[in-house]
Amino acid sequence: MSGMTGTTSLGADAVIRVEGLRKVYGDLVAVDGISFQVEKGEVFGLLGPNGAGKTTTVEVLEGLRKPDGGSVSVLGIDVDRHADQLKPRIGVSLQNAALYPKLTVIELLELFASFYPKSRTPDELIELMDLGEKRKSRTQELSGGQRQRLSVALALVGDPELVFLDEPTTGMDPAARRALWDVIVRLRDEGRSVLLTTHYLEEAEILCDRIAIIDHGKILELGTVTELVDRRFRERAVRFDAIEGLGDERLAAMPGVASFAREDGEIVLYSRDVPATIGAVLAASEELNAEPDNLAVRRATLEDVFLALTGRTLRD
Amino acid sequence: MNAMLRLTVANLRSFLRDRAAIFWTVAFPLIFVVIFGLIFSGEPAPASYGWADLDESAASGELKAAFDGLDGVSLVEGTETELLDKMRDGDVNAVIVVPAGYGDSVAAKGAPASLVVYTDPSQSQADGRTRQLVGYVLGVVNQAVTGQPPAVVPQFQAIQTNDFNYLSYLIPSILGMSLMQGGVFAAVPLVADREKLILKRLGATPLRRWQLVGSNVIVRLLIALVQTVIIVGVGTALFGLETTGRWLGVGFLVVLGSLTFISLGYVIASFAPSEESANGITQVVQLPMLFLSGIFFPIATMGDFLQSIARLLPLTYLGDALRQVMVDGVPFAPLYVCVLVLVAWLVGCFVVAARFFRWQ
Repeated sequence: MSGMTGTTSLGADAVIRVEGLRKVYGDLVAVDGISFQVEKGEVFGLLGPNGAGKTTTVEVLEGLRKPDGGSVSVLGIDVDRHADQLKPRIGVSLQNAALYPKLTVIELLELFASFYPKSRTPDELIELMDLGEKRKSRTQELSGGQRQRLSVALALVGDPELVFLDEPTTGMDPAARRALWDVIVRLRDEGRSVLLTTHYLEEAEILCDRIAIIDHGKILELGTVTELVDRRFRERAVRFDAIEGLGDERLAAMPGVASFAREDGEIVLYSRDVPATIGAVLAASEELNAEPDNLAVRRATLEDVFLALTGRTLRD
Repeated sequence: MNAMLRLTVANLRSFLRDRAAIFWTVAFPLIFVVIFGLIFSGEPAPASYGWADLDESAASGELKAAFDGLDGVSLVEGTETELLDKMRDGDVNAVIVVPAGYGDSVAAKGAPASLVVYTDPSQSQADGRTRQLVGYVLGVVNQAVTGQPPAVVPQFQAIQTNDFNYLSYLIPSILGMSLMQGGVFAAVPLVADREKLILKRLGATPLRRWQLVGSNVIVRLLIALVQTVIIVGVGTALFGLETTGRWLGVGFLVVLGSLTFISLGYVIASFAPSEESANGITQVVQLPMLFLSGIFFPIATMGDFLQSIARLLPLTYLGDALRQVMVDGVPFAPLYVCVLVLVAWLVGCFVVAARFFRWQ
């Protein structure tokens, strides 16, 4: 793998510094020596499939898990030793964490507000996360998306400098997802830093200033979306629906093709010479008595990067 | 402090909105008191005794009159064999046989005259009552014959007030049972909160763990005090329970007992992987304790082996201490021993839970 973390500029303003972090559960190495930094005012994304080690990494940073190796500093605090000093300054939305089922939205916000030295008012957060109608509903009556919004509201109640959002848009409908994206952009505009994990490429592409692609406990690539795409793909992507009888050897031998991938019944050729490649595709399909359906040319995207790195797509 | 207060209010609200929790902590002990109260309070059932007089003397006549004069006792006359058959059929509770020569023996004042009494030990309540009644009557008769006041006042004179109050044994027992259940069942919602990652979420806030534990304990203690008021209140109002009025002592024991069983609940929560298993372990812990700790029948009536188990259980000592302080019950162990045993259990459970409790 090329272009590891070394290309990241070592800013003096880093809110998160991770060096060689390791976390092991029995035989399973969940996090295998990763290093990265998050700058102040940045939205940083950890992108990877389920089980990649994203949540474990985030929970070490939040002070919820002890690392087995490496060092972790958040807001200048050694998390392993002084998690107590960190907690008033961060906001956390855990994946799948339930809330007191019998309490109402407003009661829960008031409760959490009382934990923090300074807090935003519950009403302001209800407004921000569009929970006005559910203000007096018990949390057990909320839908998955509403619960997720409440979880983000609770992450913001302590007026945090740094916000951790673990899969924040899971279970949200598209409108709620976009609304949350606006909230995250506002957090950045207010000078707060955000570390979010996601398996939605679109979300990472739109929101994140920088992204670390993580799988099997290791960071595979790290940088801005443009950096990641350019680093890996100078080529254009030529895609079409898979044709029966068109084998891998033939694809690799086509003119201009640097590499190719197959996914979900389609073929993607990464080409340095698009006209020549398309010509070869057309010739091959005519030979096989088939049509290259949905033939298209596009620039490579984060999805191509992800596919090339992990061999899988992230669609759910 | 504000955080802990808010969390306590939140926990109380969660409790009050959970109907099942309310049933088990408030309604269940209440039903227990009412059912046991209805069974064991009030006048004892009238006793009927078979009366076989083989002597037919003036002395035996006087004796019969003494038994006849007792409240709630009726005599059925017949031959010994007839009456024993009746007793086997359940028509009489006991059979009293006055042997021939009874009158002469009494008059001679030499060797004591004897009276044969058939009772049925399997009917323990009736059996005990028969023994007390017979003892009482003979005491009176002895006094009349010898003309001397008794050197020692027999304990069974209490029978004259008809105060057969098993209920005053039972109410402190039910209170002890409720405190035990309320405490160990604290494990279940705690494990549920851990399973739902609520404890983990709270762990990501500045809330301290002692505040979290403290608030849970405060809520449990409040519930325990409400239980105490209900159980003692209903026992007193409906069933004429007479207490000593040593409420400070009772309050101390309620708090100490609750803390002991709450910490036992935390030990259970330390080892239970899921809400279901916490529920199961709680049952396994509480059921034997209910039966072996002498809260429903005195430990003295148990065999040696069971007694030695009973001597280890905290509920034995909580029930005993509550009986001593609340209703002047007969001690099984001195009060300070009860308190020491409870404190020992509290400290032991606290140490184990502090070592093994998992927050996520």
